[in-house]
Amino acid sequence: MPVAASAIYFLNLRGDVLINRLYRDDVGGNMVDAFRMHIMQTKELGTCPVRQIGGCSFFYMRISNVYIVIVVSSNANVACAFKFVVEAVALFKSYFGGAFDEDAIRNNFVLIYELLDEIMDFGYPQNLSPEILKLYITQEGVRSPFSSKPSDKPVPNATLQVTGAVGWRREGLVYKKNEVFLDIVESVNLLMSSKGSVLRCDVTGKILMKCFLSGMPDLKLGLNDKIGLEKESQLKSRPPKSGKTIELDDVTFHQCVNLTRFNSEKTVSFVPPDGEFELMKYRITEGVNLPFRVLPTIKELGRTRMEVNVKVKSVFGAKMFALGVVIKIPVPKQTAKTSFQVTSGRAKYQAAIDCLVWKIRKFPGQTEPTLSAEVELISTMAEKKSWTRPPIQMEFQVPMFTASGLRVRFLKVWEKSGYNTVEWVRYITKAGSYEIRC
Amino acid sequence: MAMHGMRGLSVFISDIRNCQNKEQERQRIDKELGNVRNRFKNEKGLSPYEKKKYVWKMLYIYMLGYDVDFGHMEAVSLISAPKYPEKQVGYIVTSCLLNENHDFLRLAINTVRNDIIGRNETFQCLALTMVGNIGGREFAESLAPDVQKLLLSSSCRPLVRKKAALCLLRLYRKNPDVVNVDGWADRMAQLLDERDLGVLTSSMSLLVALVSNNHEAYWSCLPKCVKTLERLARNQDIPQEYTYYGIPSPWLQVKTMRALQYFPTIEDPYTRRTLFEVLQRILMGTDVVKNVNKNNASHAVLFEALALVMHLDAEKEMMSQCVALLGKFIAVREPNIRYLGLENMTRMLMVTDAQEIIKRHQAQIITSLKDPDISIRRRALDLLYGMCDVTNAKDIVEELLQYLSSADFTMREELSLKAAILAEKFAPDLSWYVDVILQLIDKAGDFISDDIWFRVVQFVTNNDDLQPYAAAKVKEYLEKPAVHETMVKVSAYILGEYSHLLARRPGCSPKEIFGILHEKLPTVSTTTIPILLSAYAKILMHTQPPDQELQSQIWAIFNKYESCIDAEIQQRAVEYFALCQKGAALMDILAEMPKFPERKSSLIKRAEYSEADTAEQSAIKLRAQQQPSNALVVTDQPPANGATSPVPVGPLSLAMVPSMITTEDHTSTDPALSQQNGSLTKVDPQHPSADLLGDLLGPLAIEGPPGATVQSEYNAVSRLEGGPDAVDGSAIVPVEEQRNTVQPIGNIAERFHALCLKDSGVLYEDPYIQIGIKAEWRAHHGRLVLFLGNKNTAPLVSVQALMLPPAHLKMELSLVPDTIPPRAQVQCPLEVVNLRPSRDVAVLDFSYKFGTNMVNVKLRLPAVLNKFLQPIPVPAEEFFPQWRSLSGPPLKLQEVVRGVRPMPLPEMANLLNSFRLMICPGLVSPFI
Repeated sequence: MPVAASAIYFLNLRGDVLINRLYRDDVGGNMVDAFRMHIMQTKELGTCPVRQIGGCSFFYMRISNVYIVIVVSSNANVACAFKFVVEAVALFKSYFGGAFDEDAIRNNFVLIYELLDEIMDFGYPQNLSPEILKLYITQEGVRSPFSSKPSDKPVPNATLQVTGAVGWRREGLVYKKNEVFLDIVESVNLLMSSKGSVLRCDVTGKILMKCFLSGMPDLKLGLNDKIGLEKESQLKSRPPKSGKTIELDDVTFHQCVNLTRFNSEKTVSFVPPDGEFELMKYRITEGVNLPFRVLPTIKELGRTRMEVNVKVKSVFGAKMFALGVVIKIPVPKQTAKTSFQVTSGRAKYQAAIDCLVWKIRKFPGQTEPTLSAEVELISTMAEKKSWTRPPIQMEFQVPMFTASGLRVRFLKVWEKSGYNTVEWVRYITKAGSYEIRC
Repeated sequence: MAMHGMRGLSVFISDIRNCQNKEQERQRIDKELGNVRNRFKNEKGLSPYEKKKYVWKMLYIYMLGYDVDFGHMEAVSLISAPKYPEKQVGYIVTSCLLNENHDFLRLAINTVRNDIIGRNETFQCLALTMVGNIGGREFAESLAPDVQKLLLSSSCRPLVRKKAALCLLRLYRKNPDVVNVDGWADRMAQLLDERDLGVLTSSMSLLVALVSNNHEAYWSCLPKCVKTLERLARNQDIPQEYTYYGIPSPWLQVKTMRALQYFPTIEDPYTRRTLFEVLQRILMGTDVVKNVNKNNASHAVLFEALALVMHLDAEKEMMSQCVALLGKFIAVREPNIRYLGLENMTRMLMVTDAQEIIKRHQAQIITSLKDPDISIRRRALDLLYGMCDVTNAKDIVEELLQYLSSADFTMREELSLKAAILAEKFAPDLSWYVDVILQLIDKAGDFISDDIWFRVVQFVTNNDDLQPYAAAKVKEYLEKPAVHETMVKVSAYILGEYSHLLARRPGCSPKEIFGILHEKLPTVSTTTIPILLSAYAKILMHTQPPDQELQSQIWAIFNKYESCIDAEIQQRAVEYFALCQKGAALMDILAEMPKFPERKSSLIKRAEYSEADTAEQSAIKLRAQQQPSNALVVTDQPPANGATSPVPVGPLSLAMVPSMITTEDHTSTDPALSQQNGSLTKVDPQHPSADLLGDLLGPLAIEGPPGATVQSEYNAVSRLEGGPDAVDGSAIVPVEEQRNTVQPIGNIAERFHALCLKDSGVLYEDPYIQIGIKAEWRAHHGRLVLFLGNKNTAPLVSVQALMLPPAHLKMELSLVPDTIPPRAQVQCPLEVVNLRPSRDVAVLDFSYKFGTNMVNVKLRLPAVLNKFLQPIPVPAEEFFPQWRSLSGPPLKLQEVVRGVRPMPLPEMANLLNSFRLMICPGLVSPFI
């Protein structure tokens, strides 16, 4: 396995080092200054996540108000490094119980150092699973083994846990109520031309699971995906069911999924880790149901006036509704005054992002609210460059709707003791980069 | 302040200051800009207060570096406001936001003009300041007359006139037409009569700009300037507020002296005398005191005075006084003063006679090289470089070499370059030059640019006498434990070419040389390996008799690199390997490198180039101005082989030769290189192989054991070593008469004998001149080039060269110039046609005049019979019938020579080869 990092730095937006850890000696301690000088203080920040300065490669990523910088001097695996960062952030979040930001780092220095020691060794990523790490990196006090009272919990055997066949699950879990929660979260990426034709469209989805199950259960998940259904009908030698089947691309599973069985039987069967985890990720490029249609008309009336009309149509079921819909309509930088008329929601001009921002808190299906605005521009010195007309951006969340049409057909749980389980399934579709040219 | 009570503005500024990061700041700014746009667009219009506030905000945002491309209209409109606070904001913001090319300025011109011609002094000042800050063409055209009027009006307060003068200065700089030369000269002179020092200072600034463009028109101002200077120096009538630490207006003094420097000379004796008195007073009256500010002011005046003294070409006495003063400065502790002292000394070098005086301070300057402040070290280096000449070159270069090992890394490159240039320029002898460069490479290998080592290789190649010395020297360096790669490059090249010259010394057998070189191979980079490979090939070729073991070793190396990934290395390995199999032909192909054509030293060129970004008056430039002949390289060296152009070498023709011809760079187009590369097809057309052979083997023959005598069939030249007993055949030729007082260097007869075997070398040398020769022979035609090199810094005059050809030779000498410039070399081609065989020798009657010395020498030219011979190989079966068909003497002669010291066969063969006689092996004469 190639090296993923020689050093890792956590910087705030000003470029101060919050915390850092050197894993190998091949980079100097002052390399972060180079990052500050040549990346943070230039306009290139955010343009390219990988930069090479003075024989060192810098991989950086911004998470809320923290820059995480990985410095490597050898030929490293970039994907591995970024994956490491993402996983590490997820780990920190699960330890901090929520946000990962500058304050959280400042409040948890010791813990972070402990974790950094554990999750990477000499530049090679190690176990990043929160469930396992929480067994032996704890935030509470640890009882001394010499104290008189015997501890109520047995001290977990970390070695056995990590090296065992099911490294991600501890034995002997007991829950009164055995429950499984399944969330299918999809985000829709769209680029549409001003005439309404789709230029680019795909859905990235993930299935999140939260398990509260006793013992060592074996789970099996059935979806309405094409390969799985075909295989199933083959095995049972019966004609495939009519109805929509979904073709999944780029499927990635959590390590708990039994891949040999997936390869032979095309079923997703697994022994789940305890608690929350991401079971699988997928992508869909064909047959996407777009939740919204946007019809913009933007007219420039002379040099100092503009007329903006935007109609948004919700094309999901009338009983459903979208939440937190935000439509950002770009206007030129020299916008001075705006006036609006909206059929629902609220709109205002935000100079900081040069956009008209139209917010609709609750957006029922099969409706089409409109916005019409008049924009007055101020005359400027440099009139020559014409306005580039950036695309309209949209944010939304539609519960109980999947843009891909994916459905959970079954979720079976087997356990030796044969207890009953309760399964909960949720669907939600969010906007990824949902853009409409105008 | 006008900002008083502007709550919105101060809140905004504190918001910005509280921003944690750039992004927050940008968002706050964008929000505020949106707000400002909204306000400006408001139909109801803004109150003057609001307008002022938003325009201030805009200015603040603009000053933070954000683009503000609106609101200029509002700013400009504030200019016409009736009240001072608004007007001030308008003027300030306009002069910040707008530049001279903005169209909006047109809207303001009228208002500004009204303010200028108005009666309100404050408004006048505001307007003048803005015009001065922006200073566009349109302003210049429409406002210049009004500004001039203000400047000259006696009713205005000095404050306004000061601003008017500075405003006019700015307009003039932008657009020189605003000042009408004829009219202004008188008015300028009139302005200089001003008593108020403030106005006078501003006017003086204007004058400096005016005279810098056209000093002739302002002659009338010169005495006024001197008068002003006198007034200041005598401290007459100077108000208290214009004295700074007791110095009467140092600014005005400096400006006045600057203005005076633009006038070429001062003719009026009275003015001149007065000025010198003032300068004397300044020079005498300045001393280093405790107070820093006072020091700064008095030194500013002093250094300007020094510059003026240098400019005026003062008497020697004053000059030496200046140098003494500077000498005092470079010895003080205060680094700024030391810096200035050194810098001004460098400037002083412009005045030629100061050089001698400055030399007295050499020790002190050398101490400055060790100053903790690098800028002082640089100045000291510049100064040392500038003051170096033939007399002190050795000291200075040695000092620099010593300093090199302790010098700052940032300086080493410059230092080594300068040391190399000085060594080249002022080398008393060439072996010293080689020593210096090798030391340089040894001490600061990383900082030696390729040019430096290319240059030393060129020198060694072009100087036959130097080659054994250089080879021995580099071998010494190579034996040290740690050797820099550049040293390996030089050594590989020199040892490859010339190690055979050392073959007789202990520890210098080809095998040992190869061993030393090969040791370095694993440590060097891919750029050096090709040079090493070439060196191996040459060593192998020079190994006589062939050494099987060495050969197999070297072949193994070639074999190994035949599959090298580097194309250059691979090509060389493959080609050398193939060439090695060729046997005798190898001799032709891997012959000694031909001499390099003379060219301007690329080092000096580089120095000139790099100096463009150093200080304005760098020592190098000064030096170049003083001695234009420096453009020529050292010429006290034997002729260059490659140059066949009959044009006499002058600075111009030299400058046109591209400088970056490198010896090893394989991208170079130098034809000589094709041989280096070992390509079979690209043998230099100018050098027929026999010629190359002669070149190559000549030195070998000379190095042969003394007393070895060879009797040739034709007996034209019998003895090589030219000892006193070796005069038989050569007795026929006229021996030169020695009626000159100038003694030649080296034995002329010996040189002549050597040249009989070689085609290039030194024919004659004395302290003033060196005559080199280079020849090419084709059948009965010969083409010789005489190189007349002047070794001195003074020209040689009445140069005459007359050919006295014997009857059998037809000779044509091209025109020899009457004068040879200092340190230059002149080439004179000479065509020779041999009409019939004869043993007579042509004589060159050469004379020149150096100072009062008339020198005349008669020199034998090495156009001897054997040069016209053409060897033909004859197989045994053809030889004997021919041999037998010849009837006895004079067509056939057989003789056994006795009393000759024994000589190894290959050496004998070499010798005969250099006589252009063919040896046919494998014949056993039936007569012996």
